[in-house]
Amino acid sequence: MTATFPSRGQVLSAAPTVFLILLTAIIVLASPGFFSGSTILVILADSVVLFTLAAGLSFVILLGSIDLSVPAVASLGGVIVAMLIPSIGLAAYPAAILAGAGAGLFSGLVHVLLRVPSFIATLATGGIVSGMALWLSSSRTVTIAGEYRHVLDPVIGDSFGIPRIILIGAVVCLIGVYIQRYTKFGRAIRAIGAGESAVRASGIHVGRQKLIAFTIAGAFAACGGALLAARMTSGNPAGAEQLLLPAIAAVLVGGTAITGGTGGVGRTVVGTLIVIVMRIGMTFMGVDVFAQQILFGSVLICAIALTLDRDLLQIVK
Amino acid sequence: MAPPLIALIVATIAISLYNPSFLSAANLGRVASISAIPVLLAVGATFVIIMGSIDLSVQGVIALSAAITAMVLRVDDGALGSVLALGAAVVTGIATGAVSGLLHTLLRIPSFMVTLGMWFVSAGLATLLLGGGTIAVRSADLRVLILQRVFGLPLSVWLVLAIVAFAALMQARSRFGRYVVAIGGNEEIAKLSGLPIRRTRAAVFAIAGGFYGLAAALSVAQLGQGNVDIGDGRLFTTITAVVLGGTSLTGGRGGVLNSVLGVLLVTVLGNGMILMGVPPYLQQAVLGVLIILAVASSTARIREGVYK
Repeated sequence: MTATFPSRGQVLSAAPTVFLILLTAIIVLASPGFFSGSTILVILADSVVLFTLAAGLSFVILLGSIDLSVPAVASLGGVIVAMLIPSIGLAAYPAAILAGAGAGLFSGLVHVLLRVPSFIATLATGGIVSGMALWLSSSRTVTIAGEYRHVLDPVIGDSFGIPRIILIGAVVCLIGVYIQRYTKFGRAIRAIGAGESAVRASGIHVGRQKLIAFTIAGAFAACGGALLAARMTSGNPAGAEQLLLPAIAAVLVGGTAITGGTGGVGRTVVGTLIVIVMRIGMTFMGVDVFAQQILFGSVLICAIALTLDRDLLQIVK
Repeated sequence: MAPPLIALIVATIAISLYNPSFLSAANLGRVASISAIPVLLAVGATFVIIMGSIDLSVQGVIALSAAITAMVLRVDDGALGSVLALGAAVVTGIATGAVSGLLHTLLRIPSFMVTLGMWFVSAGLATLLLGGGTIAVRSADLRVLILQRVFGLPLSVWLVLAIVAFAALMQARSRFGRYVVAIGGNEEIAKLSGLPIRRTRAAVFAIAGGFYGLAAALSVAQLGQGNVDIGDGRLFTTITAVVLGGTSLTGGRGGVLNSVLGVLLVTVLGNGMILMGVPPYLQQAVLGVLIILAVASSTARIREGVYK
């Protein structure tokens, strides 16, 4: 008989799911009305924007890098959708996603070609991108006029009694999981996160994989921003500012290590649900809205402290 | 220190050629007043960055310290209350920084994640304390720092100058300052030489927090109110200033005076862009490009194997 004690790795990979179940159980016990069909649909619908941002971010964090430009790129995506819908209709969505991919590619080029650490490259890109969003929108929220609301219908309408945004979220999730699990690129970025020098030595073009990862993160961020704009029926040049911490928290709480190499988009689904269930649950239980940010920050620090593989860091800077 | 100095001189000449009123005493006084708070922030962040770490909690610490300042002033806005408020702001900043430093060293979490978490913890605390509102402090004696002028410059500018002089000495001449540079230069060697790595690291974050706290108190005095958004946009300009000043993000190179030059460069460019009629929202974009150029030009020569 082999020992049946689970290893540290197994405990850590099950921990987010167990935590999500415990969290839901606590909230259900505290307020039994929580676990109804309609609340679940609300939770899922509210998760989609955050999940889309976090799914893209997962690729960058898998590398062991970080993308701080996510909220700026998402806001830009929202502004572009709101501005283009009157002239080009549905094509506004791909246009926004393309712009986001461009912003991500720019971060990636700065990071890879100029050898600038990713957090500063994306901080700077974030500054440039939010400047562009403010410039395009003349620093105002761009409202999508009533006669164009039908273009928003694919996002905010219902199909078979389910909000369509949930179906969009499922598609985003499938695309993300497919890229991360079943493509050469997806395997390469995990390997880069686990040990970049070895990947380089085995002949993989590390820089190119990084460029793709940042481009995907940008495209996903803009997609999330576009969905947010459709839900809000307006594009706010600073509309996604508050989403950076929840997005990073969703990735890390789900079990993707900040040092890279372990985790993935599938984990981010669980992480996003934890973040959203915490937020909605706390509001349900009457926890002060302002106290939630404190809890997020603390949960983030705890999650990192637990998942961090310190063997990868000789020196902690 | 030469490149940022040259950039500052070139920028000054270029802007004054375009608009001679840039060099008027009134405008230079304005540049000094605008720079006071960013200088405090950049000097605090410099210690952290020289060490090769990063502090993203700037805006959160400002929000929390500003909330505490405003709350003390609400109880007593006289001279005693103002002194207490100033002290409370600095102590709040030190305490928040110390928490970051201890989490970073004891739990061995990279500084940028700890401080990202602390940003939101402290901003959340500030929102909680203020109930999401704003506390007006229009009549407090604390505002003397901004309103009272000595030799044409507000008291706050002189206060900041004195503190910067002290910080520059501490960074360049004290044992602690040398430890910080040594850790940033090569932590392995510093450790083998018997330097107190953990204690120094934690202390640096606490000191940086103290600087942010003082900056928060000055912001409250300047705006005549305390609210959670009082530090908005400060993180970006602080890191821009430190980096443009020539302090290397990989640690070990740079200094307090570099960051002062960096802040002046950012302020002069901002002021110049206003004089030249550049829309304010494009300034952030210009600074973003400048960050990239500054970091790229300083890291291009350091060919490390792996950079994340």
